[in-house]
Amino acid sequence: MCRVCVYKTNSNLSFSFAGANDVSMIQMADVGVGICGQEGRQAVMASDFAMGQFCFLKRLLLVHGHWNYQRVGYLVLYNFYRNAVFVLMLFWYVLCAAFSTISAVTDWSSVFYSVIYTSVPTIVVGILDKDLSHKTLLCYPKLYGAGYRQESYNLHLFWITMLDTLWQSLVLFYVPLFTYRNSSIDIWSMGSLWTISVVVLVNVHLAMDIRRWVLITHVATWGSIFITYMCMVIIDSIPIFPNYWTIYHLATSRTYWLTILLTTILALLPRFFCKVIHQIFWPSDIQIAREAEILRKGSDQVGLKPDHDINGRV
Amino acid sequence: MNNVNGSVVGSSSGSGDGSAPRRNSKRPKYSRFTQQELPACKPILTPKWVISVFTLIGVVFVPIGIASLMASNDVVEIVDRYDNVCVPPNMTNDKVAYIQNNETDKSCRRTLEVPKHMSQPIYVYYQLDNFYQNHRRYVKSRNDAQLRKHSQENETSGCDPEKRTKDGAPIVPCGLIAWSLFNDTYIFAIGNKNLTVNKKGISWKSDRDHKFGKDVLPKNFQSGPLIGGGKLDDTKPLSEQEDLIVWMRTAALPTFRKLYGRIEQDLNAGDVITVTLENNYNTYSFSGKKKLVLSTSSWLGGKNDFLGIAYLAVGGLCFFLAVAFTIVYLVKPRKLGDPSYLSWNRNPAGH
Repeated sequence: MCRVCVYKTNSNLSFSFAGANDVSMIQMADVGVGICGQEGRQAVMASDFAMGQFCFLKRLLLVHGHWNYQRVGYLVLYNFYRNAVFVLMLFWYVLCAAFSTISAVTDWSSVFYSVIYTSVPTIVVGILDKDLSHKTLLCYPKLYGAGYRQESYNLHLFWITMLDTLWQSLVLFYVPLFTYRNSSIDIWSMGSLWTISVVVLVNVHLAMDIRRWVLITHVATWGSIFITYMCMVIIDSIPIFPNYWTIYHLATSRTYWLTILLTTILALLPRFFCKVIHQIFWPSDIQIAREAEILRKGSDQVGLKPDHDINGRV
Repeated sequence: MNNVNGSVVGSSSGSGDGSAPRRNSKRPKYSRFTQQELPACKPILTPKWVISVFTLIGVVFVPIGIASLMASNDVVEIVDRYDNVCVPPNMTNDKVAYIQNNETDKSCRRTLEVPKHMSQPIYVYYQLDNFYQNHRRYVKSRNDAQLRKHSQENETSGCDPEKRTKDGAPIVPCGLIAWSLFNDTYIFAIGNKNLTVNKKGISWKSDRDHKFGKDVLPKNFQSGPLIGGGKLDDTKPLSEQEDLIVWMRTAALPTFRKLYGRIEQDLNAGDVITVTLENNYNTYSFSGKKKLVLSTSSWLGGKNDFLGIAYLAVGGLCFFLAVAFTIVYLVKPRKLGDPSYLSWNRNPAGH
């Protein structure tokens, strides 16, 4: 019966029960939920999620299932973007270096990019970001349909993200190039500028999409940019590296700071513009529910009581 | 991420009576972090925010753009390409042969006119086009350990093909970067008075102090059959060979400038500078160009309109978008949080 349900509705089927003889059905389902209780723990051991009571199922699906989907969908797109923008930026440089696969970014920075410079905000957002409070989600079960309609991750979104990544990588590469063409800049200074630009850009991009700012999120996002600078200062203070002293030399130049600012704003402008247009003309259910929750606290029309959290600015 | 209310692990089967005290004892300890109820700020994109952001960007960017453009316009720059005209007329068909021949006369005279008043210091650069100092093989062709210390002069790994002489003696400094040292020279004069070019302090101080040793002397340099560029004074340590240090700071792009020196006096508009240059460096083999550049500098550096124009363009665009969105919000307002926009209220028949 489980298999028949899946084929007929073309959806993800989740099945929850208590019995020990239904273990095969749990394994068959896309998401198996087991209740631990009187009849033993076989169901629990075979399931993806296990709970104590049937009534928890509603929260599991509507609240945690929704949050999980939103977070995972966003994070997959963001991770594609974060890595592709860095690699594409390196690629455009190869076109300027007689196709000789030189990397202007130092080896250490290339390694640290994924590990230190941009990983912590990703993790923090993946754990803590919430689009709607649990009260709204329980009150309006139809909001769960966002997952059913694949609103957080679909092929269309993927290609839009890749197009945006292409634009951002072009801006990242060409703005410093045009600023410093016909000048006496050396390869490692250029690489240093590109490194810090990409880290700032990627973190500000994430900051534009974070829906719930907690102290830890601030520390992770802005702290990553600060840590990047610290790492670059440390790497550039070791005489055996070819990029010795580049950051000190660059940081005194006003052109350097202006270039970073211009790159960040120009790269994110189309994304911001599209976001605003989408929210004006084609608001999604989640967008409307968020607005209702944050801006119309306590209003009878939506019928929500204010959240525990400090409410957003109007 | 699998935050489920109530305990999951360790629940025992048994006489699951489900009495309230037993259920409460399984509940995990409440903490604001684990229950994700930390105080939070939830920004939302209201019309006010959208218009404010665009206006702010416009207000910040347009003055920066204007200031950058003005700074760039203040810079006076004289650029003179000389590699194509500094070849004697009877040898223009075979420039490579001319440049590679040691007997031919390489000196050349050029005249430059100063268009506007130039205040000191005036930077003298040589600009090379189509020279890929950023090619991977070239960038790696050096040995930093050898450059730093005399005791490491036998370290030549990575310097292929310019690492050792035929007898196996190490070349100091080894590698293609040093081997291809630029060696055109320039002498400036106004009328019959020479302009002194200060060639001290043209390289990075960090390079002079830590990357090029005070006890490292050139050895066996340019001694092979193929001469790639200039020769070095064997008696001066590498930390004082500033032309070499400047050249070894490999440029990022195929069209680049490197500092030759500084003229530390003002030049007036209308002055005619006579440049006596030695056209030694071979750029003819690869269709490269050589240019002599005299330039003042501003708080923004050299002459480059790009930053100014880009800032103005982005600032202007943002002002336009701010106005456009104001009109959109006035013409087609959407009440924020209005439940009638929810998809199941808009088409009650189902989606």
